[in-house]
Amino acid sequence: MEELDLLKKAWQKGHQSFEEITEKDIYKMIHKNSSSNVKLILIISIIEFLVWTILGIFFNTDDMLKKVHAEELIFYFKVLNYINYAVILWFLYSFYRNYIKISTTTSTKELMGNIIKTRKTVQNYVWYNLFMIVVSAILGLYITYFYNPELTLLKYRIDHEVSHVTLYKTLAIMFLIIVVFVVVFWLFYKLLYGILLRKLNTNYKELKKIDL
Amino acid sequence: MSENLEQSFVSQLKENQNIVHKICRLYTADSDSHKDLFQEITIQLWKAFPKFRGESKFSTWAYRVGLNTAITLYRKNTRSINTISYDNQNFFIANDDYNHEIEEQLKLLYKAVYQLNDIEKALVFMYLEDKDYTEIAETLGITEVNARVKMNRIKGKLKKILNP
Repeated sequence: MEELDLLKKAWQKGHQSFEEITEKDIYKMIHKNSSSNVKLILIISIIEFLVWTILGIFFNTDDMLKKVHAEELIFYFKVLNYINYAVILWFLYSFYRNYIKISTTTSTKELMGNIIKTRKTVQNYVWYNLFMIVVSAILGLYITYFYNPELTLLKYRIDHEVSHVTLYKTLAIMFLIIVVFVVVFWLFYKLLYGILLRKLNTNYKELKKIDL
Repeated sequence: MSENLEQSFVSQLKENQNIVHKICRLYTADSDSHKDLFQEITIQLWKAFPKFRGESKFSTWAYRVGLNTAITLYRKNTRSINTISYDNQNFFIANDDYNHEIEEQLKLLYKAVYQLNDIEKALVFMYLEDKDYTEIAETLGITEVNARVKMNRIKGKLKKILNP
């Protein structure tokens, strides 16, 4: 195309007019904070790790188990807890490993891929936690149902009802609560990362399309 | 030691600041965001500088970090903006063989380039800077053949924008 080559000629020959940046300006600039999306992702990720880990601690099952006199189950929950900590450590390790791979000196495609991988680790951590909370809730309800004396009436009705209406109702309500819970979180993350990474995702897709 | 590093970085960037300026002009729509992006690229260059050991020229290295910052790290989206509010009255400084007609044509061309997406802009930018396809492909992380194919498509796209 002749036109683009015309622009190329002018581009290289003609000096474009730019506001001259002095050494003093540069000194000032390098001491300022970055406002890149990688920095934002890092900050949000750390907050997420903290919030979900604290939430996990709050969902402490020991007290509940003691309350309903289900002490024989405490051992199993302890094991579950240790597994949980191992999983968290693994997530933190993979997050760190992905994060240090992010470098502006790699190719654009690699850089984008690494940022997306880092974010995915955090997102998986969030899903893992949601899953654990749902599982704990189901286990909690199950244990409450069998151990908590306050629920004897409900239990009695479910056991003696031929049509199982109460059982279905209870299950439906539980299911609905879980679905709403998960959907709300899903929307929240879709929105959060959608806004944060819209440009990155578009550009990544565009770049990947070239090599198809 | 770190002061030496700082001094060396500052003087090299000052020498090569036009590279950063040109990237900023291509990826931003007004002088405020231009300054904003310039600042971000400077920070990213400085962060990566300790790893820069002069295997390549400072300018070559700055292209990569600068483009990566504009395309990937810079958060503000400029894709939906089709008008440039830069006062590009004197975009190209008049030289001896100044020709009003050519100047107008160049402005239109520049506007067309501005309408391309971020990735296409990067290809055009490196093309304008006379980079070979090996370097273009390496910088973006695509194959050389596909870089050529894409560049030809972009030329076609520009033609369409110019002659709708």
